[in-house]
Amino acid sequence: MITASPTVPARERAMPGWLRRVATPKTLIIVVVAGLIGYLALVPLYYLIWGTFFDANGFTMGGFARAYGDPRVGGMIGNSLWFAIGAAVLSLAVGTALAYLNVRTDVPFKGLFFAASIIPLIIPGILYTISWIFLASPDIGLLNKLIEPVLGPGFFDVFTVWGMVWVEGLHLSPIVFLLMVAAFRSMDPSLEESALMSGASRWQVFRRITVPLTRPAIVAAVLIMVVRSLESFEVPALLGLQNGIYVFTSRIYFVLRSYPPDLAAAGALAVGLLVLAVIGVAISNLVGRSSKNYQTVTGKGFRPRPMELGKWRPVMGGAIVVYFFLTVVGPLLVLLYTSLLKFYQAPSTEAFASMSLDNYSELFHISDATTALKNSLLLGVGSATLVMALMAVGAWMVVRSRIPGRQLVDYFSFTPLVVPGLVLGLALSFVYLRSPVPIYGTIFILLIAYCTRYMPYGMRYAVTSMHQISSELEESAQVSGASWWQTFRRVLLPLLSPGLLAGWIYILVVSFRELSSSILLYSPGNEVLSILIFEQYENGQFTVLAALGVVMVLTLAVLVVIAYKLGAKVGLRQD
Amino acid sequence: MLRINNLVKTFDGERRRRHSHAATPEEARVFAVNDVSFNVENGQLFTLLGPSGCGKTTTLRSIAGLERPDSGTIEVGGRVLFSTNEGKKPVNVPANERGLGMVFQSYAIWPHMSVFDNVAFPLQVKKRGDRVSRKEISERVMRVLETMELANFADRQATKLSGGQQQRLALARALVIEPPLLLLDEPLSNLDAKLRESLRYELKRVQRELGITSVYVTHDQVEALALSNSIAVMRNGNVVQLGRPREIYENPNCRFVAEFIGTSNFLSGNVVSKDGDRYTVNTVDGQLVLDSAATLPIGTDVIVSVRPEAVEVSTTSRAGEVPNEWKGTVLTRAYLGDSLDHVVGLGKHELRTRGNPSTSIEPGTTVYLRMDPAKLVLVPVD
Amino acid sequence: MNTAPPLSGRRSGRPAKRAVAAGSALVLLLAGCGGSPTATAPQATTAGGPTAAEKLYAEVNGMTGQQRRDKLVPLAEKEGTLDLYTSMTSDVVDVVIKAFEDQYNVTVNLYRAGSETVLQRVVQEQKAHYQGNDVVETNATELFDLNNEGVLATYDGERRQMVPDAGRQQGWTATRFNLFAPSWNTKLVTPDQAPKTWEDLADPKWDGKLSMELSDSDWYLTLYGYWKKQGKSDDEINKLFEGMAKGAKVVKGHTVQGQLLSAGQFSVAASNYSYIVQQAKTKGAPVDYLPYVQPVIARPNGIGLMKTAKHPAAAMLFTDWLLQEGQAVLVKQGLTPAIVEGDDPLKDVEIIPIDVQELTQHGDEWNKRYDQVISNGEQVEGN
Repeated sequence: MITASPTVPARERAMPGWLRRVATPKTLIIVVVAGLIGYLALVPLYYLIWGTFFDANGFTMGGFARAYGDPRVGGMIGNSLWFAIGAAVLSLAVGTALAYLNVRTDVPFKGLFFAASIIPLIIPGILYTISWIFLASPDIGLLNKLIEPVLGPGFFDVFTVWGMVWVEGLHLSPIVFLLMVAAFRSMDPSLEESALMSGASRWQVFRRITVPLTRPAIVAAVLIMVVRSLESFEVPALLGLQNGIYVFTSRIYFVLRSYPPDLAAAGALAVGLLVLAVIGVAISNLVGRSSKNYQTVTGKGFRPRPMELGKWRPVMGGAIVVYFFLTVVGPLLVLLYTSLLKFYQAPSTEAFASMSLDNYSELFHISDATTALKNSLLLGVGSATLVMALMAVGAWMVVRSRIPGRQLVDYFSFTPLVVPGLVLGLALSFVYLRSPVPIYGTIFILLIAYCTRYMPYGMRYAVTSMHQISSELEESAQVSGASWWQTFRRVLLPLLSPGLLAGWIYILVVSFRELSSSILLYSPGNEVLSILIFEQYENGQFTVLAALGVVMVLTLAVLVVIAYKLGAKVGLRQD
Repeated sequence: MLRINNLVKTFDGERRRRHSHAATPEEARVFAVNDVSFNVENGQLFTLLGPSGCGKTTTLRSIAGLERPDSGTIEVGGRVLFSTNEGKKPVNVPANERGLGMVFQSYAIWPHMSVFDNVAFPLQVKKRGDRVSRKEISERVMRVLETMELANFADRQATKLSGGQQQRLALARALVIEPPLLLLDEPLSNLDAKLRESLRYELKRVQRELGITSVYVTHDQVEALALSNSIAVMRNGNVVQLGRPREIYENPNCRFVAEFIGTSNFLSGNVVSKDGDRYTVNTVDGQLVLDSAATLPIGTDVIVSVRPEAVEVSTTSRAGEVPNEWKGTVLTRAYLGDSLDHVVGLGKHELRTRGNPSTSIEPGTTVYLRMDPAKLVLVPVD
Repeated sequence: MNTAPPLSGRRSGRPAKRAVAAGSALVLLLAGCGGSPTATAPQATTAGGPTAAEKLYAEVNGMTGQQRRDKLVPLAEKEGTLDLYTSMTSDVVDVVIKAFEDQYNVTVNLYRAGSETVLQRVVQEQKAHYQGNDVVETNATELFDLNNEGVLATYDGERRQMVPDAGRQQGWTATRFNLFAPSWNTKLVTPDQAPKTWEDLADPKWDGKLSMELSDSDWYLTLYGYWKKQGKSDDEINKLFEGMAKGAKVVKGHTVQGQLLSAGQFSVAASNYSYIVQQAKTKGAPVDYLPYVQPVIARPNGIGLMKTAKHPAAAMLFTDWLLQEGQAVLVKQGLTPAIVEGDDPLKDVEIIPIDVQELTQHGDEWNKRYDQVISNGEQVEGN
């Protein structure tokens, strides 16, 4: 191949030739995708930065003074990091172990993994946290009641940083699971077998071979989990505040709640988050730099064989059942139990006697319930599809291309993670209220908000998958005479599809929960389910809320099953 | 050295059960290895040869401990690694305690380690009791790397090596612990032809020099013939023939082996007479006399395997002087460098012949084919 | 809800201008919209003289009785729709809207969110000259802010004159009151033990059993002022609040507080809304707030007309209606109406309104002090 890369046109070429070479489908797609990613990321970022550093008199650091001048700021940063890193480590340990067991061993109860990997994502954070209060509060927790005879009252205390780490970590572990499953699926098992043959114990194999080889995926997972925990609001708000444990997000909430919203101080806090996230991305890029060597999906065929656990099989089976009970059955049971009550009370004969389906029939009387369901579905599917389509190309740019400035695409796609939902809502409403295109007041503004919010996750899923596909496969397609677009569509997309599908499902599921920016951007007729949940929450209708939660879990579970089946039908799944 | 007795390994045939009409899971089980037994003598290179799915890799992985057989015994150097003998306590030594060396088809070079670290790993992970000092590790690794001519690349990232070097690295890693038995799973199949050939001899040299007992799995008969002290040809989980390479090539005991090892022409026929070892067989294309140690009654349906190089092609007839002369017409010819093939039409069938490149005959020419009775192989019908 | 930004005196609208400046640059950059940035300053909304809506309001403000309705109804029905932004909970607002729509041929488009969000949205839209709503119904604090932004029109009429003084504010009129009163779990607290006075909450017997809400600084400042008027010294008052905060469980949100009280997470909630507790009680939850600990502290919620209303007649009709027929609807939903006619269930109860004057002027300071009070609680908890 002697032709120069189209993006680096020879200077001496005449203009029409230059144009012809640039206006290839490849360039067009790349420019459009990069433009969209940049646009989605920059709108809220620009708003955030301006609001933080500039006031009527020009540049100011007043926001920082107000945000970080508080004497408790040290404790807040400490708590945030403790909470975020703790939750990330817990979710990473649990999620990775589960993914490994699921993909690489003959562990029993594999059927449970599917539910365990999706359902915690579906349960809205408010409900998940509240169900843990009902389970592990020192005063009313069911678990505490259960073990009281043995360990005394109030053994578990969910209202501590450790409690927050526990709840957040468990809630996040399915995301790690989904990311790591993709990574393990695509790793050549003979790399581990050869270590085993060298005399290494299973633990040595895991530590010295498996972990280093899946490092890009692990790094990506840690990064997402840390930033997500930093950005998480429900858990710190419901569990932390009771004992005065503040984190970044609860501070931002405080600052924004006032009027006029102290954008500068909120922005200063968000910029703090941004700095942490950029450091994280930089570290992950540094760590992942040598990852070209780690591409483990190669053209060579291999058959993954499940490793026999032998005597550990029942132990691991037991651990999985425990995990399943902790993350799925426990919270779901609490939800189900609550949804049948008139008001929440600890289980008793009295409570069971008062059970009825009233809360479910009340759901039918909530105005706009069907509209909200329809809109949520539309937005979930729409944003998941758009984001994954954009990010597939975006990931190619970041991982494969040699386009100058490609790292910017990576950074841009990541920044929405640290823009608080409320700030995003403010920014979007500000822009589209003034946009000549009538987007404000329509469902499209919600679509834009969702795409922006979930872009970072889509990007991580896509990049992780892309890292694991050998460039040889792509090169061989090109050598076969396929154009860039054909290669992308026929070779890369199918190979990426397990990761893309996982990301798609993730976005679909979490979009049902999005509240903080939806609440400012929705308009009459464009209600979504999360708004209904919020309203029930505001009305104090926890029991109806629980019923709504149960219905939502069922709806999404059905959707996800359909997605997987369809995926399997068109050969998306690789196992 | 290595003794395998009555090895059986089945896989759960769940998927097959759904599609066939097998009533129970037992009936649906797929035999990957079905009652396989063989011994490998000290210092020998033993090859498991067969098409994909024949059970050769499963057998090898069972020896390695990566696969758990259903029944049978595996012994290396008198040490029982696996046993399900009735009455005795079952034994199954885990793969990481068997102390065997293995080279994988994909080499399984760890991409996150340097060449040195790859080779040092097996020594580093030794159990507490047999820990090797840092200095000794370094010495032993360098010694092996030198044997494999990789000493200059010790500090290099493993993935920066060429295919052939990676293969030698995989071998070095398997050998560094000086295992009693070396297992090789199609180690040359990912290489190009030229490299494969040179590495084949390299492998043989190393194996001979170190005198290491080896089990080699391949589907490439040329490799098997070139490397092995003995070969077990496998099919559908069974060993169909076990013997020295020459025996296997020259005296396949069934059509499958004859077909699988090298190229062969097969002529079906019927035994019409027998005088000692000399048989006379009637085929559609004519009569053949040949020598065989088999005892087959007159009237048996047989197949005569004719290796292309056992056929002499000539434009002149020597009918009467020698047995087994047939007449035919050259259809095509193919120049192979060190030999030249003719495909000759015999009315109903075609026969492939191989000979010296100096004999090249125009297609369309009438020729006479002469087959040496000693080189024809009588194969029972399967 | 009512937490002011950390710097005092920032409610002048200056930071808003900053946001506008920042935002306008954004607009120019991203949307290519050529609107003049200065024209979007909040005070500028009034610059062009009275709007069409304001003219109508002025005309109707002087009318009374049937004449007023006769004027408004045909106009409103001709407008056909009403765009309402509110922070009323959905169970209440659904009933209110249905009653109004049943009576008049006007369709109500509803946007519902928390009070802060309603405020954010109205301000954002007004700055962009987007006529999103005709009328806004929300908390006092947010209505003050909206009035300061100059987007609310003057409303007057005989119904407004019946609203207590504390509910007749410039730009808005109270429609209902949220009552702050201590509430308790009847399984954990016997009627004898139940608090009788606000001072009782400081009793050490509640240490570890009392819950305080995170954002109730308006309750705090009003109670503080009340005690001050009663002749208590600052020291005494601070001691009382310290006593409450000692071991207190701080909860965000009154509804969560109510749920956790029902579940028995704590025995007493210092300052929950009485209607939330009443709703739980009606369902059979073991909670109570009666007899009232007096004085009950009342936070008004009110309604304001938008100067830029697209449907001014409908807006005015709805306001009139909510202060007249709507009051009965609110009572039915368990809320405390702004206008009491006939028998007053609270006639023997001493009610003091939130000191809105103090709140708007020194809200930040109170906010910080309340934060301080609660964090004392957390320190005790931590040790």
